[in-house]
Amino acid sequence: MGYSMTIADNLFENLRLELRRGCLTLAALAQLRQEHYGYTLRKALAEHGLEIDESTLYPLLRRLEAQGLLTSEWREEEKRNKRFYRLSSDGEQIFAELLEEWQAINTSINSILQ
Amino acid sequence: MDLLDRYLQAVKKHLPWKRQDDIIAELRANLEAQLEDKETGLGRPLSMGEAEDWLRQIGPPRQVAARYQPQQYLIGPVLFPSYLFVLRIVCFWTMIAYTIGSVALLATGTVSESRVLEAILRAPGFLLTVAAWVTLGFAVVEFAATRRPEKFPTLAGSLSNWTPSTLPPLEKEAIRGKKPRSFASAVAEVIFGFLFLVWLLLIPHYPFLLMGPGALYLPYSPFQFAPVWVPVFWWVVALNVTQLVWRCVDLIRGAWRQQRRAERIVISAFGLIPLGMLLAVPDHAYFTLKNVTDQARYGAALDSINLSIKWSALVICAITVLQLLWSIWRISLDCYRKRAAAM
Repeated sequence: MGYSMTIADNLFENLRLELRRGCLTLAALAQLRQEHYGYTLRKALAEHGLEIDESTLYPLLRRLEAQGLLTSEWREEEKRNKRFYRLSSDGEQIFAELLEEWQAINTSINSILQ
Repeated sequence: MDLLDRYLQAVKKHLPWKRQDDIIAELRANLEAQLEDKETGLGRPLSMGEAEDWLRQIGPPRQVAARYQPQQYLIGPVLFPSYLFVLRIVCFWTMIAYTIGSVALLATGTVSESRVLEAILRAPGFLLTVAAWVTLGFAVVEFAATRRPEKFPTLAGSLSNWTPSTLPPLEKEAIRGKKPRSFASAVAEVIFGFLFLVWLLLIPHYPFLLMGPGALYLPYSPFQFAPVWVPVFWWVVALNVTQLVWRCVDLIRGAWRQQRRAERIVISAFGLIPLGMLLAVPDHAYFTLKNVTDQARYGAALDSINLSIKWSALVICAITVLQLLWSIWRISLDCYRKRAAAM
């Protein structure tokens, strides 16, 4: 019983992470229509109910920047050097397409569930 | 904060050296801002325990650093199906070559228990070595393709270049709704065929493999094998070798799913030869007496044994002929149907 519960829990956790992965990218891109540095971005997402681990979000920002979806610059704020990110022009375009895709999926799932 | 500095230092050690200063500076700014928020909320600095809990929640340094690395594969998803395919084929070929080599060595040299055991025990190591070389080869290609994708343009495109028209035609069994033989069962047939052959070759040296404890009685038995058994035995060995090689060739050709009518016909037809040899023995003397003087004592028992062998050979011969005729009839029928369908 306990063993099968563990398998079920693991399976759920894996599927949940898989489901969240794409959504987190979309959420980060959406939030970065305004400029943020890592910590304020994390806080802003959490305020909207989307908690993301530091160890997930900060590397994600680096990857999105390497893919050309974000631009970044180091700037001093409150006597501390911080790296600020925002959507690049390519990022804006891809974000719009992703958003459209996500809304279509959402509509389809809602339709299936009805 | 000393603990945060130690934490960042530990993360830094696992980061790529080119980017580590930049990543650590950013991570430090983020974590310090978070720490500041926490301490403002509490109205006091974090205690040691609270700081430890916070850093534990962020994650082990090695894991945090790993998130900044690109996803690393020994063999990535693009190459993996090819790797698996090649690995399977290469391992199979190796096994076949090894099997044939081992059987040839055993058949030409002195067959002994230790040599057979040695050949069997050496096989896994041999296979593992071959598998390791295949894996290494693919890992090198993966490494090169990841770092120099422009040098391997076909690799990325290899999966998207297929066309449906190149798909193989439906197999006969699939058309008839029969489940074709799986690769695993075809491989198992080859393995068991090989083991059977080894067992067969060992029988003359270790009769207990055939007769069990009864073999202990052999030296004291008044009967002995007639010379006809020697060519019959080697015919049986040759038939099994032919069957094994046939199945290996089928596997190599990728034809293990097909029916084995031709194989059945050839094996049945050649199987009639040793049976014919047995039936042609004058007076059906399959066993003879070691001492002619024992005729009075064991003559009746000997006749009975020889007669039962004769009838067994006759029955087996009849079954084999029927099987042969049946297989030939089925093939002829299929050919006729095909011709009729083509007209």
